[in-house]
Amino acid sequence: MATEEELIDARQMSGFKPFYQFQSPTRVIVGRDLISGLGFEFAKEGATRVLIITDEVIHGTGLIDKARAGVEDGGLEVAGVYDQVPQDSDSPVVKAAAAAAHEHGADSILAVGGGSVMDTAKASNVIFRYGGEPRDWEGYYGLPRANDGLGRPEELAPLACVPTTCGTGSEVSFAAVIKDRAEHIKFQIGDLPLYPRLAVLDPESTRTLPPQIAAATGMDAMTHAIEGIVSSEWSPHGDAFALQALRILRDNLQRAVEHPDDDDARGNMLIAANLAIQPTHTGAIGIAHSLSHPCGAHYNVPHGVANAINLPWVIEYNAAAGEDIAAKYRDINELLGLEVGGDGAAVGHTLAEYVRSTVRSLGLPTRLSEVGVPEAGIPQLVEGAIGDGCTLVNPVEPTEEDFAELYRKAL
Amino acid sequence: MAYFKSEDEVYEFIGKLFENLAEDDELGPKFRKANTIVQYQYSNPKSQITVRMLDGEDGKVDLGPTEMEPEVVMTMEADTAHRFWLGKVNVTVALARGQMKAKGPVAKILKLVPLVKPVFPRYRAQLEEAGRTDLLEAA
Repeated sequence: MATEEELIDARQMSGFKPFYQFQSPTRVIVGRDLISGLGFEFAKEGATRVLIITDEVIHGTGLIDKARAGVEDGGLEVAGVYDQVPQDSDSPVVKAAAAAAHEHGADSILAVGGGSVMDTAKASNVIFRYGGEPRDWEGYYGLPRANDGLGRPEELAPLACVPTTCGTGSEVSFAAVIKDRAEHIKFQIGDLPLYPRLAVLDPESTRTLPPQIAAATGMDAMTHAIEGIVSSEWSPHGDAFALQALRILRDNLQRAVEHPDDDDARGNMLIAANLAIQPTHTGAIGIAHSLSHPCGAHYNVPHGVANAINLPWVIEYNAAAGEDIAAKYRDINELLGLEVGGDGAAVGHTLAEYVRSTVRSLGLPTRLSEVGVPEAGIPQLVEGAIGDGCTLVNPVEPTEEDFAELYRKAL
Repeated sequence: MAYFKSEDEVYEFIGKLFENLAEDDELGPKFRKANTIVQYQYSNPKSQITVRMLDGEDGKVDLGPTEMEPEVVMTMEADTAHRFWLGKVNVTVALARGQMKAKGPVAKILKLVPLVKPVFPRYRAQLEEAGRTDLLEAA
């Protein structure tokens, strides 16, 4: 039986939130040799003729051939393969993928790839069902619903995802982030029907993942977890996923990058990324993402790289703002085996240094100037960051000058 | 029970608020940095307010039918709009619950959210001046 002292020391949830909404409707299967059983599993979601969406790099690794065999082994047909997804999914690609689904007579979509591939698949599923341009569907909760718009959303075609990075967690999220290259912005389509019905986490899918990409996408997952815990939209549900994600990242990120042949580490990283995105289902995210999105939109900085650079500065900024915020970072430090003492600034600095050290040891860039972001670009970046939805749910409300200062520090 | 009894009441209070903001020397220019045209489509009662916030141009507010073509459309019950301007609605939560729906480049609107806090007391003052304590007491 716990002592009174142990009970007092136990982590207490501060207050009772008047409202939050959490959902995680995607069926997630985890294990080995799951790709060979894709058809068996996807059939349970109503698929019969499958369009595989991927990119040329993944197509060249042989993984798509394995996926095709797995789909067909389950008695389904592969209607076709669309492999033209670029690093950042954009509107013409989304439309082309939807057109491919129609041309090939598909009734379902299998995304095999990283975040861009999965987001392409999600957005193209909307166009496949409803037509129009991707920008027509920009926004949140805008898809057609029963009962004159007040009822249950109409379903899209069955979508399954096999993530090949670890990662965005897009295989279990309800939004697709698409680039509008003409306007240099990234826009989102977010609604419940975009949730994939099935996510398949098999370390085979990351066997050929280059270590640098494993490192960057792993840092994206770490950013999701940390931001999810401290966000104004934190929740006990979100925390449960995020804290476990951090435990797994703590024990597997370095291993997976330094020993790419370690199947267990790679498999665990898939799980970590899948868990880490879950707090965003309550809207829990923060300004590391606000800072990073314009870096991707204007300077093509890979999302995980940008997050890895921006996250430590955001931690220090947030933690210094008050003990209630610092307390959450203190919990994270405790989980990571770091020093938990000191005021908010000290706690934030300790965690920030851990993140910086991790980024360095993973061989990732540590400065925005190393990845092509110029100081002269700061005003444009600030404009993007201040208008980003992630800014609204940061625990501290930043000003434009705060954003400018964060960019200057990160340069 | 709906707070507003008619479309005209929506325009009398929420519409008037937007009109005042469009002409406000301090807040008007800040809101116009959103550089967009947003349409608020309300239900219960059915009503519509379209607001032009374009950088460098005068603000314009149409109550009801409009020839302006909105870039962003926000859909909600009129009660939600009323409670929002009383400072009682968290936009993130409202979006998650479907109490607000947002279509179009929502980022343009979301960046205005930090600007609206100074507007809340102005809306309350407007209601007080009109003697509408019933609306001030909305839950």
